[in-house]
Amino acid sequence: MSGFDVAFGWAWLIPTLTAVAFVIVGVGGRRMARLEWGGWVAVAFSFAAMVVGILVAIGEMLAPGSYTDSSVTWISIPGSPGTFPNGVQLDIGILVDPISALMLLVVTVVGFLVLLYSIEYMHHDSGLARYYAELSLFLTAMTGLVLSDNLLEFFLFWELVGVCSYFLIGFYYEKPSAASAAKEAFLVTRVGDVLFLLGIFIYFAVYATSGSAPGWAAGGFKFTNGSAPFLAGAMGGNTPLLTVAGLMMLGGAAGKSAQFPLHVWLPDAMEGPTTVSALIHAATMVAAGVYLLAVVSLFLGFTPTDQLAIVAVGGFTTFFAATMAVVNPDIKRVIAYSTISQLGYMVFAVGAGFTMVGLYHLFTHAFFKALLFLAAGSVIHAVGTQDLFKMGGLRKTMPLTAAAFAIGALSLSGFPGSSGFFSKDDILGSVYATLGTHPQYWPFFLLALLTVFLTAYYIFRAWFLAFGGDGPRDATLPHAHEPGWTMRLPLVVLSALAIGAGALVFDPAFASLLPGIGVPPTFRGADLALSAVSVGLVACGFGLAYSFWGGGRVFELSESTWAARVRALLLHRYYFKAGYDWIGLRATYTVARAADFVERYVIDGTVRGFERLFAGLSDGLRRVQTGVVSDYAAYVVGGLVGFLLLLVFLAPWLLQTVGGG
Amino acid sequence: MDPLAYAPEFVVLAAALLVFLADVLGVRRLEAFGGIATGASAVAFALVLADLGTPVLSGLSTLPAGVLDAPLGPGITSFTSLGLVFQAIFLLAAFFVSLASLSRPSAEAGSAVFFGLLLLATLGMLLVALSADLIFLLLAIELASISTYLMVGYSRKEARHLEAAMKFYIIGALSTALSFFGASLLFGAYGGTSFYGLGPAATPIGYPTLALVGYALLIAGLGFKVTAVPFHAWAVDVYDGAPTDVSAFLAGGTKKMGIFAFFLVFLAPLLILGHTPALGPRGFASALQLTLGIAAVLTMTVGNLLALLQKEMKRLLAYSSISQAGYMLIGVAVASGPAVAGATFQVLAHVFMKTGAFLVVAAVASLGVGPLIEDWRGLGPRRPYLSLSFALMLLSLAGVPLTIGFVSKFVLFSSAVQAKGPFVWLAVAGLLNSALSVFYYARILKTIYLDPPAPTDAPAAVPAPAAGIGWGRGAAILLITVGIVALGIYPGPVLSGIQAAASQFVFVGG
Repeated sequence: MSGFDVAFGWAWLIPTLTAVAFVIVGVGGRRMARLEWGGWVAVAFSFAAMVVGILVAIGEMLAPGSYTDSSVTWISIPGSPGTFPNGVQLDIGILVDPISALMLLVVTVVGFLVLLYSIEYMHHDSGLARYYAELSLFLTAMTGLVLSDNLLEFFLFWELVGVCSYFLIGFYYEKPSAASAAKEAFLVTRVGDVLFLLGIFIYFAVYATSGSAPGWAAGGFKFTNGSAPFLAGAMGGNTPLLTVAGLMMLGGAAGKSAQFPLHVWLPDAMEGPTTVSALIHAATMVAAGVYLLAVVSLFLGFTPTDQLAIVAVGGFTTFFAATMAVVNPDIKRVIAYSTISQLGYMVFAVGAGFTMVGLYHLFTHAFFKALLFLAAGSVIHAVGTQDLFKMGGLRKTMPLTAAAFAIGALSLSGFPGSSGFFSKDDILGSVYATLGTHPQYWPFFLLALLTVFLTAYYIFRAWFLAFGGDGPRDATLPHAHEPGWTMRLPLVVLSALAIGAGALVFDPAFASLLPGIGVPPTFRGADLALSAVSVGLVACGFGLAYSFWGGGRVFELSESTWAARVRALLLHRYYFKAGYDWIGLRATYTVARAADFVERYVIDGTVRGFERLFAGLSDGLRRVQTGVVSDYAAYVVGGLVGFLLLLVFLAPWLLQTVGGG
Repeated sequence: MDPLAYAPEFVVLAAALLVFLADVLGVRRLEAFGGIATGASAVAFALVLADLGTPVLSGLSTLPAGVLDAPLGPGITSFTSLGLVFQAIFLLAAFFVSLASLSRPSAEAGSAVFFGLLLLATLGMLLVALSADLIFLLLAIELASISTYLMVGYSRKEARHLEAAMKFYIIGALSTALSFFGASLLFGAYGGTSFYGLGPAATPIGYPTLALVGYALLIAGLGFKVTAVPFHAWAVDVYDGAPTDVSAFLAGGTKKMGIFAFFLVFLAPLLILGHTPALGPRGFASALQLTLGIAAVLTMTVGNLLALLQKEMKRLLAYSSISQAGYMLIGVAVASGPAVAGATFQVLAHVFMKTGAFLVVAAVASLGVGPLIEDWRGLGPRRPYLSLSFALMLLSLAGVPLTIGFVSKFVLFSSAVQAKGPFVWLAVAGLLNSALSVFYYARILKTIYLDPPAPTDAPAAVPAPAAGIGWGRGAAILLITVGIVALGIYPGPVLSGIQAAASQFVFVGG
């Protein structure tokens, strides 16, 4: 026991602080749009939130495995014999446990750094009050999600982060591409949200009435099992219905975490400011899907069928997204595909049963991916374009940014000693160890392994294109320069974390945030050979990237080869977007036209018909309202006679016929 | 019985007598009468909460130990938790209305009569909540009713008020006659009028048909109070014709007394397993439940349909009030602990929503805006706070989440779904009606916020922006708005209190 335990009681402060910032900036910001005080308010409050977040995490580390759940009952329906013998309870609460403390650390640290970075990065934009208010609201929603103590509250915040993401992707709403990207993100993730909601209904149906944990719904869908935290073990069960529920959860996670086939929205979400990409679409919100899978796997449990489906989706997405990153000319989109690919690793790990390993990669990924985005943002800020083929030689004018990007790239590709190396190898090694008992994971494991090579190739290709060579390939680019301190400081801090965060797990205290991960975390059950293969793949990827793109070279594919055709396929994103658009344009429009017809003539007609019917009824009934008191008395007497007949003759007859009661 | 146990009733009675005495002694200031009424209802409210065991106030409790929720005896009064909850609700309505009425013109004639009658009506309602005997219940209802007949016409000047009072009185007298006739038939069937004697298995009903006829008469007589269709026709004319503050009290206060009377009269026979061979097992109760359910659906549907085409604000609110009564009757028909709790919470919600809405109408009328809904055009930008309050009340009436109206409907409808018998149809009817009601609430919101102000308004006719609605009215509306949102966001303690009281009541009743 230590003084840090107190911090548990403060956890509610974290969302509250950022919510206060949201209100201050949102209400007061419009009046002083010229001044940047709104940004500093948001930075100050997020700093305070980060301090509390770190204190909570330290408290958790000092008392390993402890948890605190404080909740209030929102609505409670007592049970009565009948459909829901246990009743229903809806709670709002705050649950601090090891993994939520870990997530708090990620969200508040990256959140603060990104807000600080925004001060300079967003300096020239208008609508800053909106920007800072929405980012603060996002932090509230995201920390609220992490601290939720039950599934319904989780879903509430899940929707809220989605809404914030929608607003922020569409921040440059005058730009049609941004507006359409925001809409796309909203609609695609909504598909996942609906599946998530269906999953909740199924769990409700299973656990409200019977099942291995009767009354889970009555207990408010809690992530705690009576007195034990959910880490004590999943409720388990393997019925077809639970399998379906698990698949629904996978669907929800796939929407939020941009997993195949709901991945299309994330690259387009790069239309938002780069800071938003770093915070929401790399470090935190997109990881919420993984977090959902983790929580479900820990508390409710997945059936083997679910697990295979999750492994398949994760493993395939890992490879699939990486291939598209290989050819993309846009610096932000390369990193976006990389994010999808890395999220695939996490889903893959959680599916194979290594929840903590997946979360470990989530933790390290948050830092090096935020670093890559912020370094890219620094480049974009300096040269005003996202096209890699126009850049070049930037390491000379922007040495710090070049170094930061290089550190991020090394960590992402899994250079030995960097944080990405530990977590990625832990995933590969852990899954490898289960292949004996789960041979069905083999193909996906091979895809994940192959992705290591692709990852190193595409990220160093990006580095060489932007920073290598003698000077920019497009002479019209403005002369680049390093940004000011508010942008440099986050780069430095994140660089340090991208190198060192992975090794933190070797400290038993920190490892207690990931219960069961083991110390040291890597090489568990696997052998050194696997690591060597992985490092060798990294080296191959790096070598290939250098030979194609190093020293200012630009690798030209001759148009006639098969490789060019592959390249076109990849550039068109496997025609997935086009396919969806085709579905959108053709199929959906056909459906839409049909729906429109139905809407116009059937639904509208019905509605209008009802309207006319009700209006007619209403009018007819109104005529009865004569204002003549003797008429009213007649209604009373008529009503009395009616009820007499009903009660004495009709009701008993009805009951005997229909058999009610 | 310890007279102190009746402390809240004595406070209200003393205040009423004080008002009339002051009037006789020549006091002519409305603020004096209003102050007495507001203070007395606040004090009585605190005393009732203390009797209910509210932690902070429990020191004030005057109730002897062991009296609350004691098994019903042969006496004519009894203290039940649910009765105290209803007392608190009635006093809340009286408090809001008298607080808001403080903003009426200071020299208004007849103000002593208004506040005195308000207090007497409140006293009648408090006694209803203590009833353990059918005759006592009907007498208490009479006390409240006669006071309200007079309240409607208290100004004695405007013809429309007097007309409304007259209609109210005639139909009221008719329904009273029906109620007493029903009571006499029940006396014949059961050989007593104590609720203890109505229905317990101890006294098999010798004449089940006689009892059924008696209950039908009581449905009609009490249905008048709760504005159940088809005994509702008076309500629209009276709510529309009465001074708006009185309408607020009628809709928010006296009508709720009828719901509690329904609980008292019907829960005992409904909860006792049937014992009439003629109607089969549970047949007697099932027949009553089916009938009450039909009354509930009829009431909510007709109320909503009539509201759809209304052009006048007060009449629309009157119809919406009728439909809300239909929702409450679900709780009577289902007759389980959760259902009674849901109906009670709906009653509480309705005090906030409907009293508040009528008070806003009174406030808006005092600004010189006409009675038609379209006269409210463009009010949103001009009176942002008043409009926001009204919008919240309408959203709550429609049952939008995070308002008290959502919570009450959620609890009520889910109780119908999970009840023992087949009552899902009541929940379905309630949901469909909720959807229907959104039409007219949304129409009002659109008028207030989106429609441009009436172009014919000459600049002089537009009320001066400085025109206030008075602090009393403002305070009442503010309190109500806060209540709607606060209880919508965090209903926990109040709801669980009501649920505990309801399950006690159902237990006592059975």
